[in-house]
Amino acid sequence: MADPSAALAPKPEGEEIDPQFEPVIKLTEQVEVKTYEEDEDILYKMRAKLFRFDNGLNQWKERGTGDVKLLQHKETKKVRLVMRRDKTLKVCANHHISAEMRLQPNIGSDRSWVWKVAADYTEDPPTAETLAIRFGSPETANEFKRQFELTQKINSGGASVEEKNSTEEPAEEESEEEAEKEDETEKKDEVIEKKDESPEEKKEE
Amino acid sequence: MAQSAIPTFKLVLVGDGGTGKTTFVKVSSGASWSTVSLRSQTDLVLSATLRVNSRRSTLATTLGVEVHPLSFSTNFGTICFNVWDTAGQEKFGGLRDGYYIQGQCGIIMFDVTSRITYKNVPNWHRDLERVCENIPIVLCGNKVDVKERKVKTGAVTFNRKKNLPYFEISAKSNYNFEKPFLWLARKLVGNHELEFVAAPALAPAETHVDPALMEQYERELKAAEAVPLPEEEDDL
Repeated sequence: MADPSAALAPKPEGEEIDPQFEPVIKLTEQVEVKTYEEDEDILYKMRAKLFRFDNGLNQWKERGTGDVKLLQHKETKKVRLVMRRDKTLKVCANHHISAEMRLQPNIGSDRSWVWKVAADYTEDPPTAETLAIRFGSPETANEFKRQFELTQKINSGGASVEEKNSTEEPAEEESEEEAEKEDETEKKDEVIEKKDESPEEKKEE
Repeated sequence: MAQSAIPTFKLVLVGDGGTGKTTFVKVSSGASWSTVSLRSQTDLVLSATLRVNSRRSTLATTLGVEVHPLSFSTNFGTICFNVWDTAGQEKFGGLRDGYYIQGQCGIIMFDVTSRITYKNVPNWHRDLERVCENIPIVLCGNKVDVKERKVKTGAVTFNRKKNLPYFEISAKSNYNFEKPFLWLARKLVGNHELEFVAAPALAPAETHVDPALMEQYERELKAAEAVPLPEEEDDL
């Protein structure tokens, strides 16, 4: 069958064609969806791509592209990491940020981090995951690391965004000292490009 | 709200083998996927399905399908598509009627890097329409991320003849992957105002990792660090 397409002008996108159908079920009532982020402040937000490691297959699998956020609860002051995929806004990462987590580089990439999560709440029930996150540039990746490590201090009571209510479990001395040292060097490296989104945290320094 | 009954729709996904149907479902579900092992996964599913069903009706035996429940949070509540994926059956000729029966919406997929997959679209459409009369159907041209494109946008005319919306997608790079679902969802619930909204993200519990587990984690972390992430060249 000959294709007469060559003569046709570029087509509009699908929306132009809009056939009508009898709905299977008629939904007319708006539903208020609670995200559980309402009671939290955004300490940090950045676009990234997330992967999870499949131990059995020994390979990375994509989990989604979207905004990764560090969210601090207004009352408990606990910080968690939440990431949602673009467009569908589905959760692809949701975990508490604990002191023992370490962001490690991934071979062959200078803008990615790998870390281990004991309980990721993307699915119900939660699962242990090895996650990797990739950013647009090494600078952005470093800034994420800085922010991530800062929230580790907040979560272990070693630092707080505001001076109150930081009476949570005793922090592990070692890891905290380490985090602090690393944090120092990170900060120096990054004086040049500071597009910090969480001004509160700078008061700490 | 009536959370007990989530509106659920059977979505029939058809198209030639290798057009990326399984990748599309995996990507859309946010379930992890990889480009490397997809084909073998489908084949595994196929053999598993055949095995599991071998003692049931002959229909089930020959079907070999994977049904993926795919739910979306919308401003009109949660909805769910039960996406029927062929598990490679299309390679052995057409699909059985059981695959199409009670389908409430459909996606016909072709691969823009393969002319033959577009040429077969009318056949898929005919099969689908024969069993499912007058259901919303979307045509999707997949793999638009590939540079060596064979079916240009302007060459896609079949959808106009049949009054089907057409979306160019890339399951691999997530381009437009939500569009077919959004369009179908709006038709199925008869509401053009429907939008996807953020799903709940429940507060995670704090965890305490004992030393033995910690050691295991360290090993897993080391292993993962040594495996490069795919598609390093992509931009964000």
